[in-house]
Amino acid sequence: MSHQPVAVVGIGQTHHKKSRADVSIAGLVREAALRALEDANMDWSDIDAVVLGKAPDLFEGVMKPEMYLADALGAVNKPMFRVHTAGSVGGSTGIVGSHLVSSGRHKRVLSIAFEKQSEGNAQFALGGGKGASIGAGGAFAPFIRAYIRRSGAPEDIGWQVAVKDRLNGAKNPYAHLKLADITIEKVKESPMMWDPLHFLESCPSSDGACAVVFTDEQGGKAASKPPAWVLATAMKSEPSTFAGRDPVSPAAAHACSDEIYRAIGVTNPREQIDCAELYVPFSWYEPMWLEAHDIAAPGDGWRMTAEGATALDGSFPVNMSGGVLSSNPIGASGLLRFAEAALQVRGMAGEHQVGGAKLALAQAYGANAQFYAMWAVGSSLDPLG
Amino acid sequence: MPDVVRESVFNLQFPFTRSLGSTLSTFFSALAQGQLIGVRTGGRVIAPPLEYDPDTAADAGTDYVKVGPKGTVSSWTWVPEPTHLHTVKHPFAFAFITLDGADTPMIHVVDAGSESAMAAGMRVEAKFKPTEECAGRIDDIIAFVPAADPSPSDGAGEPYAAPAENAITMLDSFCDLTYVDNTSASTLLWMESLLKGQIIGQVCPMCNRTYVGPRNMCCVDAIPLDESTLVTVPDRGVVTNFTIITPVQYPGQTETEPFVRVSILLEGTDAVMAQQSVLEIPASEVRVGMHVEAVWAPESERDVSDIGNRGWGSGGECIRGWRPTGQPDEPAENFVERMM
Amino acid sequence: MARTENDIAIVGFAQGEMERRSQKTETEMMLPVVAEAIASVGLTKSDIGFTVSGSCDYLSGQAFSFVSNVDAYGAWPPINESHVEMDGAWALYEAFVRLMQGDIDTALAAGVGKNSNSDASTLYTIEMDPYYLTPLGADPWSLAALQARALLDSGRATERDFAEVVARNRASAKSNPKAQVAGDFDVDELLAADYVRNPLRRHDLPPTTDGCAAIILARGKKAYELCERPAWITGFDHRIEAHLPTMRADITRSVSTALAAAGAGVKNGPIDVAEIYAPFSFQELIIRDALDLDASTEINPSGGALATNPVMVSGLIRMGEAANQIIKNGKRRTLAHATSGPCLQQNLVAVLEGDE
Repeated sequence: MSHQPVAVVGIGQTHHKKSRADVSIAGLVREAALRALEDANMDWSDIDAVVLGKAPDLFEGVMKPEMYLADALGAVNKPMFRVHTAGSVGGSTGIVGSHLVSSGRHKRVLSIAFEKQSEGNAQFALGGGKGASIGAGGAFAPFIRAYIRRSGAPEDIGWQVAVKDRLNGAKNPYAHLKLADITIEKVKESPMMWDPLHFLESCPSSDGACAVVFTDEQGGKAASKPPAWVLATAMKSEPSTFAGRDPVSPAAAHACSDEIYRAIGVTNPREQIDCAELYVPFSWYEPMWLEAHDIAAPGDGWRMTAEGATALDGSFPVNMSGGVLSSNPIGASGLLRFAEAALQVRGMAGEHQVGGAKLALAQAYGANAQFYAMWAVGSSLDPLG
Repeated sequence: MPDVVRESVFNLQFPFTRSLGSTLSTFFSALAQGQLIGVRTGGRVIAPPLEYDPDTAADAGTDYVKVGPKGTVSSWTWVPEPTHLHTVKHPFAFAFITLDGADTPMIHVVDAGSESAMAAGMRVEAKFKPTEECAGRIDDIIAFVPAADPSPSDGAGEPYAAPAENAITMLDSFCDLTYVDNTSASTLLWMESLLKGQIIGQVCPMCNRTYVGPRNMCCVDAIPLDESTLVTVPDRGVVTNFTIITPVQYPGQTETEPFVRVSILLEGTDAVMAQQSVLEIPASEVRVGMHVEAVWAPESERDVSDIGNRGWGSGGECIRGWRPTGQPDEPAENFVERMM
Repeated sequence: MARTENDIAIVGFAQGEMERRSQKTETEMMLPVVAEAIASVGLTKSDIGFTVSGSCDYLSGQAFSFVSNVDAYGAWPPINESHVEMDGAWALYEAFVRLMQGDIDTALAAGVGKNSNSDASTLYTIEMDPYYLTPLGADPWSLAALQARALLDSGRATERDFAEVVARNRASAKSNPKAQVAGDFDVDELLAADYVRNPLRRHDLPPTTDGCAAIILARGKKAYELCERPAWITGFDHRIEAHLPTMRADITRSVSTALAAAGAGVKNGPIDVAEIYAPFSFQELIIRDALDLDASTEINPSGGALATNPVMVSGLIRMGEAANQIIKNGKRRTLAHATSGPCLQQNLVAVLEGDE
């Protein structure tokens, strides 16, 4: 079959902030794209196709903004593609871009995802423009309450995740929140937003963009910096509500990681995978995803957090970049996870590098915890070999 | 009983605030002073300027050039009935106008009185709002009008020295769209049942799941559900889960104090109604396992006009909320995972 | 040419009612169409390897409007799934690329658009450059008219040519049971109508249509299992141009269509039938020019977008109609085209072939 190896050879992101009032929408996406091109030692003219992802257009009030952004992203006379799969969209944007190379259709592809939340108001958009919007936190809080009950986890697990991810974010020059002085006490004392979630257990609202350059095997081997190899990709969905659906440990989340593990021969993810970037917009999602992706046994995800296994110097570091809790340009948040996993296996993650990372996992999810995108990247085509 | 709403008008309105970045700020700041500019990139002058060369995506740089205020029409069309979004409220033209000193046209309004006055090649000039009304927006130019003197614009093509700091860095953009939503058959059934003080659902004949309210389909089996699958379900149940939401303020927000939203497993069914409000007790007393019943508005006050096609389980102004029945709580662990 | 396991074909196509105003939601519109497409090739939902749809949040004014559309798939157990904020023709492109990964051999691509909830002349102002065009209320009809005027001024077409495109498409639509606007129209009578946007009259604009369509793709041997005469996709490409029409070298030429046609190998043989997505009458002339088709090529036997225009679906319908010319009508080589954005900014071309 035509499936060919794909290498990540360029990664770029903006400095994420509450408001990037210094740039236009085009300026924001170009900042990330230009960093990725520079990393890849390429120019706009080297790119064969562009894939753009973002969350709902109602966030910025520009319908199908890839139209307006086509020339800003060097796509004139090239294929330009637009993905929208809710919160998982950043991940999907990376996957669709990688498939354009693995299928042999293109040699060099730029995937880019962004959100400029400061132009509008996500809560307004999510509420359909009406009052009493419950927001994403209100939608997910009951799932978290159910997880806590199911697992018997102590209440401070969420606070620990909030602290750990912010300390990681403080090491990431691009992170929106750099809360080097955050403490468990501060998280616990911060306002209750969506009971049981405190303000500091929630993601910020950010402007930002992330870009990734993909190329083929030949391009990856010739790259001036170490590439990350895309070893497996998966996208899974399930309906939002029906009797018996388990939104705490969703079947689609399990199916997504099952497919990845099968494709690359992982039988013991906690031992064989070096680190993971998981989409954790609210603190408790760290233990929930550790279980839903079978990294921890059911009910044991929180123990990994409690034992420090998921810390940057732990045995299974999670969200080395600071995660969604440190930066949340919604549409880009998934691609930031995918990009950080790639940075780790390239050995280019700077102060938040996990020593010797050879195999990394990245995940993004969306809507009513029902859309999943995931990839595994390696420092070689056979990191388990 | 009031009639159900079969069509509802929804105005999607939001004040977006756009940051401009250096190039657009330079252009709009100059425009607010009555000066049109372009940028020289790739061997030609683009006006209005872009921050990138549209052909190559290369940075367009800051070689700004004065253009206009006169220009030449290269294409035009006539708008006989302007919409509420058009900036001129009487019949007008849109045109491609190549400003003096520029190599590419811009799109703007031409106010020439009548369609017959429009022609390719016509000379027009920018008519600005009074300076004190100029906000640094593209519609600071009210319109282009036929040029009294067709001779070339003074100063067009000369370099423009951008100030060190731009006065205009943001653009307010008010989105104002109207949607006329029609009510689907399943939502009509739901509205009618609420007006009657009943909660209805549909039971899938393949998987036996109950959907409250009706969706006319089973999302598991992907089959249509018709009226034969309709059931009336109890308006009582047990709280399975909840959250207390601290409202974030945004345009259109109606809440100011923390409010509770619960999920309720309806008695004798597998159906959960999510995001329901609780009455008669403070949010802090809401518990998983608590028995509740619907509090119906008096029949004369029931209103379903706020229920849309996507509002499964929304009680509109018919179910005011749910109140504790006073029965002893059920064990929380039997219910907490029944969020759906 | 012998087909291999790398070759991908359209094997099934279904389209729902095409109406000025559907009483259904997008999800309700999708349910029977998805089911019909799957059943038409003798499969059930669990047989489909990958599912992807194209739709647009702003048509309904609701963020994440596509999320509930997943309900129409019966996505349980969970499925491989994606969504594009593009016409379903691009969803089909994603499905095509996904099949090329080699691990699955069937896919479903759908498009859905509830267009009647909004008003095209105001809605699409927010698809334009948000700094220079949206604040002017620059609408798609006006932008198309500016392009049409430029075409007239080039001397390559007349207003009569526009009307003849309309008359031919609407006449062809008489044999399309899904067509919304069909019949015999006199060109002189058409030309007597008032302008909506000079030089465009109401009939030069597309109708407003609610609708849904779905296509089944299969790879290699599977295609023959599901379809007697698969419509093999032998060429598939899409390209975009600068957003502002004023930044394009010649607004009367569709460079992106010509590039996509070259990429799809249109000139590798004669095209029997071409289904062109031209939302405005005169745009068919620009697209035909860019495709450089022979005079023998039959254009839009379905009636095209002037007969039925469910935005987000129209391009996918062109793919389905072009495929049916092979699957059902025994044609040898057909073409499907789709477009998006102001003044034909983005264009897609596919070449479909039946076996000899």
